[in-house]
Amino acid sequence: MMQLFGKSAELQLEKDVSTRYLPVVISAMIFLAALSIGGLFSLNNAINDWSETLTGNLTVEIAFDPTADLDQKVLDAVELLTNTPGVAAARAIERDETLKLLEPFLGKNTALGDLPVPRLIEVIIAQDSAIDLAALNDKLSESVAGARLDIHRPWLDKMVLLGRSIQLLAATIMLLIGGVTVIIVIFAVRTGLIMHSEVIQVLHLIGARDNYIAEQFQNYFSRLSFLGALPGLVVAIIVMFVFNFLVGSLEASMLPPLSVGIEGIIALLLLPILVALLTKYTVRLVVLKSLGRMM
Amino acid sequence: MVRFENVGMRYGLGPEVLRDINFHLRPGSFHFLTGPTGAGKSSLLKLLALSHRPSRGLITLFNKEVSGLARDDLPAMRRKIGVVFQDFRLLDHLSALENVALPLKIAGAKNAQIYQHVAELLEWVGLGRQVDAKPPTLSGGEKQRVAIARAVINRPQLLIADEPTGSMDAEMGLRLMYLFQELNKIGTTVVVATHDLELIKRFGNPVMYLKDGLLTTSGPEQSPAQSGRAET
Repeated sequence: MMQLFGKSAELQLEKDVSTRYLPVVISAMIFLAALSIGGLFSLNNAINDWSETLTGNLTVEIAFDPTADLDQKVLDAVELLTNTPGVAAARAIERDETLKLLEPFLGKNTALGDLPVPRLIEVIIAQDSAIDLAALNDKLSESVAGARLDIHRPWLDKMVLLGRSIQLLAATIMLLIGGVTVIIVIFAVRTGLIMHSEVIQVLHLIGARDNYIAEQFQNYFSRLSFLGALPGLVVAIIVMFVFNFLVGSLEASMLPPLSVGIEGIIALLLLPILVALLTKYTVRLVVLKSLGRMM
Repeated sequence: MVRFENVGMRYGLGPEVLRDINFHLRPGSFHFLTGPTGAGKSSLLKLLALSHRPSRGLITLFNKEVSGLARDDLPAMRRKIGVVFQDFRLLDHLSALENVALPLKIAGAKNAQIYQHVAELLEWVGLGRQVDAKPPTLSGGEKQRVAIARAVINRPQLLIADEPTGSMDAEMGLRLMYLFQELNKIGTTVVVATHDLELIKRFGNPVMYLKDGLLTTSGPEQSPAQSGRAET
């Protein structure tokens, strides 16, 4: 670590005014990058959860009919489903439970009880069963008037598409943050090279290789990036906790909490190291290229 | 040791500041380089120090043609050359000892070896009590001696000094020249650029005279106006 972050003994880059604000900029970049990573991994986990929950999970909807005995229709449909090969379980969802599902959309309201809500049956398909869902839907419609099988697929597909689009956006933001960081570092290094050109010339004339000079630049800038990244990451983690707290405090929220998982935590913790490495190799490339133009 | 053949030099697209320079310096020789201001002395020293490349001609240093030398080979070649700059170019934030140790550190020498050599050398140039002093606290003469110590710590085969006595009184200048003579006696080839004709007469070494980018070489007893190709 000391080798990586050693001081620039001869060049005294530590005293450069031009690089004083670099850690602040890096900190802001890491804050944004950490939030993007949080969003990226949370969405990925949410999409996986949706897929897992809804794969093999169907809903039968029996349309509201004030003249019909809905409870009897539900019993008939459950019996038919239970006797269908490939169906592991069929459970009637009580009216109160159905109304509860509507709360995130309509809020808690006593008037909800008057709504003409359909009756629902949760159907779980047995694992590895090759059930013909279209035939089951036809059979159900014929046996129970107003019954319809909802396989969730179109809804899930749209949600997955939305989720993946947001993930793509987050990844693009990450790339932009990386690109902007590289550009900022390049400008800072070029300024440093101009400011220290006389010392660099002396070092060259007493036999210093370009590598020797480049190491002083890359160590100093890596250290700045690493130390700048830490507060940005800490603030981002605090923001994520606050967000989760706020989401949790809502009684019925449409927003899923940020849950990055173990991969996300590793990615977040690696951010300062990655930005230090990105800085190191950017600086090395810029310095060696610039020195190569000197004799 | 050092051979210039039809060497010309220009900065960028500007006019040639050195034209058709030809000379040969034997190993262990001591030369003065003089001439009016703007004659091209500093440019000639830059070529000798491998700080710039010639725009034409051949330069041979230590039996190697260097005008087209690969960049990777330059540091090793430069370590055989010691340069004393007119403005010292010491690093102000480093102590006298650290400044002098720099060439050895860059060459990868071990710390114990470095500091023993450096302390001895600083003692030899009369700065034994100022090893920890930073350049801003040193006088002009002391800075010059630190610069010389830094130039010779690697035991260079060629020592180049640009106006080394310019910033010091006559007595200190003389002491400095005796120091160069000592180094020359142990085999170092020395080239000293100076305006001080009294100094040149006093020491009687061969003189290279530059005027308008052209080189004239003469012995100590000759007038530095005689032109032509020279072997000294």
